[in-house]
Amino acid sequence: MANHGGGGGCCPPMDLFRSEPMQLVQIIIPIESAHLTASYLGDIGLIQFKDLNAEKSPFQRTYAAQIKRCGEMARKLRYFKDQMSKAGFTPSVLTETKGDISLDDLEVKLGDLEAELIEINSNSEKLERGYNELVEYKLVLQKAGEFFKSAQTSAVAQHREAASDQAPEESLETPLLTNQESKSDQGKQVKLGFLAGLVPKAKALAFERILFRATRGNVFLEQAALDEAVVDPSSGEKVEKNVFLVFFSGERAKSKILKICEAFGANRYPFVEDLVKQEQSITEVSGKISEIKTTIDAGLLHRGNLLQTIGEQYEPWSLLVRREKSIYHTLNMLSIDVTKKCLVAEGWSPIYATEQIQDALEQATIDSNSQVGAIFQVLHTKEMPPTFFRTNKFTDSFQTIVDAYGVAKYQEANPGVFTVVTFPFLFAVMFGDWGHGICLLLATLYLIVKEKKFSSQKLGDIMEMTFGGRYVILLMSLFSIYTGLIYNEFFSVPFELFSPSAYVCRDAACSEATTIGLIKGRDTYPFGVDPAWHGSRSELPFLNSLKMKMSILLGVTQMNLGIIMSFFNALYFGNAVNIWFQFIPQMIFLNGLFGYLSLLIIVKWCTGSQADLYHVMIYMFLGPTDDLGENQLFPNQKTVQITLLLLALIAVPWMLLPKPFILKAQHNRRHQGVSYTPLEGEDESLQVEANHDSHDHEEFEFSEVFVHQLIHTIEFVLGAVSNTASYLRLWALSLAHSELSTVFYEKVLLLAWGYNNVIILIIGLIVFIFATVGVLLVMETLSAFLHALRLHWVEFQNKFYEGDGYKFHPFSFALLRDDDE
Amino acid sequence: MGFILTTLHFFVIGIIASFCTRICCNKGPSANLFHFTLVITATVCCWMMWAIVYLAQMNPLIVPILSEGE
Repeated sequence: MANHGGGGGCCPPMDLFRSEPMQLVQIIIPIESAHLTASYLGDIGLIQFKDLNAEKSPFQRTYAAQIKRCGEMARKLRYFKDQMSKAGFTPSVLTETKGDISLDDLEVKLGDLEAELIEINSNSEKLERGYNELVEYKLVLQKAGEFFKSAQTSAVAQHREAASDQAPEESLETPLLTNQESKSDQGKQVKLGFLAGLVPKAKALAFERILFRATRGNVFLEQAALDEAVVDPSSGEKVEKNVFLVFFSGERAKSKILKICEAFGANRYPFVEDLVKQEQSITEVSGKISEIKTTIDAGLLHRGNLLQTIGEQYEPWSLLVRREKSIYHTLNMLSIDVTKKCLVAEGWSPIYATEQIQDALEQATIDSNSQVGAIFQVLHTKEMPPTFFRTNKFTDSFQTIVDAYGVAKYQEANPGVFTVVTFPFLFAVMFGDWGHGICLLLATLYLIVKEKKFSSQKLGDIMEMTFGGRYVILLMSLFSIYTGLIYNEFFSVPFELFSPSAYVCRDAACSEATTIGLIKGRDTYPFGVDPAWHGSRSELPFLNSLKMKMSILLGVTQMNLGIIMSFFNALYFGNAVNIWFQFIPQMIFLNGLFGYLSLLIIVKWCTGSQADLYHVMIYMFLGPTDDLGENQLFPNQKTVQITLLLLALIAVPWMLLPKPFILKAQHNRRHQGVSYTPLEGEDESLQVEANHDSHDHEEFEFSEVFVHQLIHTIEFVLGAVSNTASYLRLWALSLAHSELSTVFYEKVLLLAWGYNNVIILIIGLIVFIFATVGVLLVMETLSAFLHALRLHWVEFQNKFYEGDGYKFHPFSFALLRDDDE
Repeated sequence: MGFILTTLHFFVIGIIASFCTRICCNKGPSANLFHFTLVITATVCCWMMWAIVYLAQMNPLIVPILSEGE
């Protein structure tokens, strides 16, 4: 049990008001049941293990090998996921686990599947490559064949022409290029060679140029562009290519051209002049192409099936691997005692979970057929336990808001209890419009109704935040509807909902309505702001005065609540010094000045006096003995003011001086004559390193404590003024909201209405809707949310909240899913 | 008189709301106390807001002066 006094005798316990009482437990687990124990404890999820092997590196720990195995398996699963997404499969949603697969089996299975998948992939790659090459070859055959055909026909035509001039006997069979020397000089016969292939279109021009230069112009190049892009065998991408045919003479030229082709990545294919052989080659290649295509398709089908089976099992496998990895991480944190063959675990857990943990330990012992059961004992320590609040889905979002500023110290009063109501309320004070409130309500009801669907999906960042805060927004909208009814604004339009307006004309003709104004003839409007005010010339002075005073009243109330919370904290922890020398002077100071101001406001309203409250407050300080004259609100006001001023003046040194001296005296009394620290009576059978230090040797620096108290006092005194003024933002934002709302209504909607044209009306309506949603519902909501948050975090919480605790983060499989994703 | 009467109304509504919460979600004493705190806080907040606006209008120092073209 932690040291901090378990007070609370003052008031009955309340959910969420203080964090759960925690205890430091020590569990001694025999090695054979270690894995199962960790697994069951992870299911419960209520222990936060301490890392007892903090000095060891990750490689020195006991279960490093296991973690490596899990890492390997996770890598294989990631590879599968990658392949699946490339092939367009999605792993199916997590269904009930069909059966528990052991980790070893899974490892073997994953290994096999990976090998198979890699093999399939490499095979299909090879096949693809071969296929693409064949396709290119076919194209080369076709295009080059066309070259030769067209060349031949033109040669035939030329022949005919030449034949008409000359008469030598020549037939079509004569070679294309006749050399005069060929008949006579065999030795000097120049054989013309050619190469055929494909070159990327982008490089075609450069190719041609370089060929020309390298062979000094002794080549003949024919190119023909292909209509559609072909898949390049080596890169696997579609490239626009040209078929080329290079005619050259000589070996040197040939070698140069070969090198150039290689440099340009031009694929060469064998080509024969013979027409018949060309036809044969084409049919051969076509046959091979169709063969390979069927093989490839079969391969893809096989792969698809494989990926499908993997996809069905992916989620359970992935979860299993993560579970196992986390189990081994946790086991690594336990200290191992090799001689006694057991692991020692230390951790924090809530006291209410004791039985559950003991049940889990028993279950693990039974299931693992171990001879020895696990030992569970509670340790006593002075360390500060983690803070744990048992929230449900409703209170969770409010607690998150409080935790965002600082996690509560162990068992201090939790502002979250009041935040559940005051935060939406202060938001609504700044947002007050029941039309907008209804829109917000509808939006958040949609989120709440579709809760189950949304919580299983993966949402984007903004949507996730909005969904997480749906209950906050629900309360915000409900309170907004209420304050909207009070401010009497429905998209800035007032309604006479409860009774007729209190204001009537002075005379029957209403002649002075625009000069002197109406008069209060009937009873006060029973609920909210009188509808007569809207649109009048004196609306702003009246509403400003009302809202400013309201802000002060609400602010003083909330700050008083904060100080009272500090009283409850002092009572709980048995800190009498704080009660007498902090709580009481703080109350006197705040209420003597600002509580008195609130009282004056209420008295002025009740009596209808014309006293100037600014004057009263300022001269209370500057000239307390002056005569009040017409600023007198109640009899003996001067005496009361002087008394309050004196009390406030006394309260300041009362807060500042006594506490440091008393703390010093307490410290001296506690450590009088103590020259040694007694041994902690730990009766354990095992020698565990006593790393729970008792901070007996406390240092007490008087100057430090004094300065701390000085800062605290100055902060409170100055803060009393500044925080009270800070609450005026309630007025400011509420004014901004109502003015914006009025502008959109009058200048957009009414303007459009005035034209008596349907199209303009529709356009005006659309503009009005967009402006309302964009500016008022989104921007103003965020703005009011932020300011209400600030009021809570700073003005309310700095009266009592310490917030320097750390959050309870148990070893739990449920949290694992959230962590990883 | 209207002030006190409506204050009484708020008080009664608060009591009824606490009973309703107790009836529909009775989850042990500490949880009940928590719900009760929430209901009372909400009632007090709502009452305060109404009371402030009502008191401000009981004895007004300025009156509505209509703008021209009403």
